[in-house]
Amino acid sequence: MSKLPAPGALEVKIATVVAVAATLHDTDLNVIDAALSHMTSGDSGFFDGEFAVLDVGSITAMPAASVINWAAVVELFRHHGLNPVAVRNATSSMEGAILAQGLSIDTSIARPRAEVAVEAPPPVAAAVPTVGNNVGVPMIVDMPVRAGQRIYARNTDLIVTAAVNNGAELIADGSIHVYAPMRGRALAGASGNVDARIFALSMEAELVSIAGVYRTFDDGYPEGVGQQPVQIRLAGDRLDIVGLQAATKS
Amino acid sequence: MAKIIVVTSGKGGVGKTTSSASFASGLAMRGHKTAVLDFDVGLRNLDLIMGCERRVVYDLINVINGEATLTQALIKDKHCDNLFVLPASQTRDKDALSEEGVERVLKDLDAMGFEYIICDSPAGIERGAVMALTFADEAVIVTNPEVSSVRDSDRILGIIQAKSKRAQDGGVPVKEHLLITRYSPKRVELGEMLSYTDVQEILRIPLVGIIPESEAVLHASNQGNPAIHVTGSEVSEAYKDVVSRFLGEEVPLRFATYEKPNLFKRIFKGR
Repeated sequence: MSKLPAPGALEVKIATVVAVAATLHDTDLNVIDAALSHMTSGDSGFFDGEFAVLDVGSITAMPAASVINWAAVVELFRHHGLNPVAVRNATSSMEGAILAQGLSIDTSIARPRAEVAVEAPPPVAAAVPTVGNNVGVPMIVDMPVRAGQRIYARNTDLIVTAAVNNGAELIADGSIHVYAPMRGRALAGASGNVDARIFALSMEAELVSIAGVYRTFDDGYPEGVGQQPVQIRLAGDRLDIVGLQAATKS
Repeated sequence: MAKIIVVTSGKGGVGKTTSSASFASGLAMRGHKTAVLDFDVGLRNLDLIMGCERRVVYDLINVINGEATLTQALIKDKHCDNLFVLPASQTRDKDALSEEGVERVLKDLDAMGFEYIICDSPAGIERGAVMALTFADEAVIVTNPEVSSVRDSDRILGIIQAKSKRAQDGGVPVKEHLLITRYSPKRVELGEMLSYTDVQEILRIPLVGIIPESEAVLHASNQGNPAIHVTGSEVSEAYKDVVSRFLGEEVPLRFATYEKPNLFKRIFKGR
């Protein structure tokens, strides 16, 4: 991207921020409030001020959608620690009210809208916001990844079917799967996706990380996982390394 | 079309120049017109190992800069008829190497009828090493059965896959061969040294041969005599096997297993 010709005063470039996509399935704000409370367990630090893009594609056909109190919506999300910045899949009639609240209209994803009025589904299940998943075809690498090589799977998962040697680096915004010995470093959820996981056929890694939480193995691997099939996931602020053998036995 | 083969390793001191000298000699002894080039500008060794250091007048940089022709710079080897040596410069440094210059020299050598052009790479992953591998059709990765050498060989393999002309043009990839040097089956048996299968497991390229650790190598380089010419020695036999395997022949792997010497041998060999 080129910069604006304003020497010294200002620089404008393309930036990417991490945001949560919250898909609403109900127009009743009390129901949404309950669902958010359930999700955060009352902890306002759960979302920690994360940007939120509200996806209203599922509710636009509902009669109550046209009279949504956007000020109340913004207030509600802020109360639960989310910072709404934009709305997606809104109808044009809603746009005026949305913009009046200082929210933007996000047109980046076009989702098919509900053609027929949908009955509001049961409260608890309905209004659960969904966190945006990393979409996209996974990047697949079939050659051994050698010392000094770095592979970055942007916005998607990374699958490697050959050995990852010491000194190599695998990075993915999604999950990482290595169907061979994994010896180098593996960094999943690189842009902040805490649900990303790491899978390896033989755990021999130097360092693993999910959404920035990392662990090295100077003192060896946990009991029974060294050179074994493993699944690594983020549990709060700890990395859980679990052997996969158990899962294959019934 | 001449085949360009780079002999490289990443790690220093593992046996690149020793192997380049013997490998090139071996090919020449089989009747193939062969040139061996030293890419270690400033720290040249190939001419010493080949025993032609007193006949060096012009070098690779002179030819690249047009200060001499290939015919003037190439030194005919005293051991083999078909073998010619192009030494590196001792006084310049690696910045004198240019991609266009190297490409031109290689094309001119091809036009002179050479079948094999061996590029002896310097250690490291900087300019000299990259210049040596850029135009390679095949690569011999010289590796000691030792962790840092294996790690560096892995690194150089990655660089060949990224920076060779074949990789950048999307052509047939450089054919890679693993040459393990300074191998001691006894130490492998004792668990002190990586075995050749351990090394292969990490590097995942086909094995072209194993050169056993030997005092003969030091004697040979002191005399300016490539080790392959020390007839009857294990090293000489091992290099001959490497040449055979490279040329496509099926040769059983020698010098890879430890045989406990019987009492008689132990008394008289004193090892």
